[in-house]
Amino acid sequence: MTPTDRTDHAARVRLPDPEIHVPAGESPAAVCSHCGRPFRSEHARDLHVGEHHRESASAAERDRYDEALETERDDLWLYHAKAVIVLGVTYSMTVILYMVVLGSGLL
Amino acid sequence: MTQSVGRRVGGAVLLWAAVGLFVPGASAHSGSLGGSVADATVPTWLVVITGGIVVAGSFVFTSLLTDHEAIRDVNWRRSTVSLPARPRTAITTLARTGSVALLGLVLVVGALGPVTADRNFALLFVWAGWWAGYTATAYLVGDSWPLLNPWRALARAGRALGRRAGRAVGARSPPARYGVWPAVAGLLAMVWLEVVSPVGENPRALAGLVAAYTLVTVAGAVVYGPSWFERADPISRVFAAYGRVAPIQRTDSGVAVRLPGGALTDRALPDRPGETAFVVALLWVTTYDGLVATPAWAAAIDPVVSLGVPALIVYAAVLLGGFALFVGVYRWAARRTRERADTYVTAATIERWFAPALLPIAAGYHLAHFAGYFLGLAPALAAVAAAPFAPPATPLVAVLPGWFGTVKLLCVLAGHVLAIWVAHSLAFELFPGVLAAIRSQYHTVAAMICYTVVSLWIITQPYVPPPYV
Repeated sequence: MTPTDRTDHAARVRLPDPEIHVPAGESPAAVCSHCGRPFRSEHARDLHVGEHHRESASAAERDRYDEALETERDDLWLYHAKAVIVLGVTYSMTVILYMVVLGSGLL
Repeated sequence: MTQSVGRRVGGAVLLWAAVGLFVPGASAHSGSLGGSVADATVPTWLVVITGGIVVAGSFVFTSLLTDHEAIRDVNWRRSTVSLPARPRTAITTLARTGSVALLGLVLVVGALGPVTADRNFALLFVWAGWWAGYTATAYLVGDSWPLLNPWRALARAGRALGRRAGRAVGARSPPARYGVWPAVAGLLAMVWLEVVSPVGENPRALAGLVAAYTLVTVAGAVVYGPSWFERADPISRVFAAYGRVAPIQRTDSGVAVRLPGGALTDRALPDRPGETAFVVALLWVTTYDGLVATPAWAAAIDPVVSLGVPALIVYAAVLLGGFALFVGVYRWAARRTRERADTYVTAATIERWFAPALLPIAAGYHLAHFAGYFLGLAPALAAVAAAPFAPPATPLVAVLPGWFGTVKLLCVLAGHVLAIWVAHSLAFELFPGVLAAIRSQYHTVAAMICYTVVSLWIITQPYVPPPYV
């Protein structure tokens, strides 16, 4: 046996490209200029180009990717604020529920 | 499946639990599956709801982790160990010979050994040792079934004999349009047979079933070659599916040690008919196995059977109906995912993409359902295995401590939480950006919460032998 303890970066392969179907009568809002994949929004296309075609992207595409990332960051901040509130409320409601059930004998 | 060995159990086990760990005589324990939980001061409904809250909470928590590169770093972390060819060949030969010998022993002891369930090696070995214990190693350690499958070895020998006789064997391929549906049908049929027939308590019936399965499998694998085990044999597919959850994965040159569930994020299911259905069926059959042993089932089937509907039909109808319901809910979640993520990726692709995330749930539920059963009967299995033809009169049975009920609940929850993580990782691979990936999971998570609640409820129910069979 020859143990080789390491993280094998060579083994990183991208998952296969997913199958795409554009419903009849609908024209895609944006199309990737590198692989031709259609998207329902320019935002999604810009992100896709930055994530999948970073090396071959043009300067304009990189700028659009950075802009899309910026939008994602703002939206994500809002989402995370909501998520933290939901977690906090869920946690306290659960504790209160247990206190009521185990402490009062009401339920 | 296996509870049938323990149908005689009852209160004796709980009584003896106070006396000591080992009880001579009591046949098995799995009847007390949920007793310890139901008796706790926390009411069952609260336990069940808490499970749902934990799954929902872990989704919200996971959605805070949005660094795609970091997620990949965690999932793709691995240590590889390569095995030189010579020891591999030696291990393979040893495993093949040993597994075929063991199959022979099961057939002989099943057909000729003691008729008492808890003294028959074949019965204890197949249900407690193999279906409960060995299956757990597939998802806890790694899938060793391709190595240990005695039918694979027999079919190999059969093909060699056929070739020597000048026949073209193993060259045909099952029709592609059936995909893996034969394995789905086989899995449902086996679980139905196990619930309604006496194979769980009668060694003779079990030997008959094993012999029939041997004939079908060897014949199929001689005609169709190794693709039989990939497309049609339900047992091989069960182990392969569970094996994808495991930390040890086979590679071309040896094995890779990864984080549990890491290998699930590597690839979607192959594009073949029935691939998603098999994963859903795996999830459903373990649930069904638990469901038919609840008091609620016994109460529900009573009026139906008294109307004159044959019990076997009721069992089959619920098995198929529940399977259709599970497939339907999964398809619905996949279509909603497509809408929420605002994508052109097809719903069929989304189904195959996220199906691996169901496997930790199936594994966690299997462990919860069978771990206690295996541990309880392990001493009896060891005693009977030492002398299969002259087993002790009353093999020992282990009685598990009260907190084991909590361990079972934690197994179910751990499976769901791992599933949340795997689905999260897969969503990031499929959809561009972060928010689309998070939003895409809402409906899947809702379906998972429902499933957690149902499976926790089943786990906390006292065991009632399935009636009318």
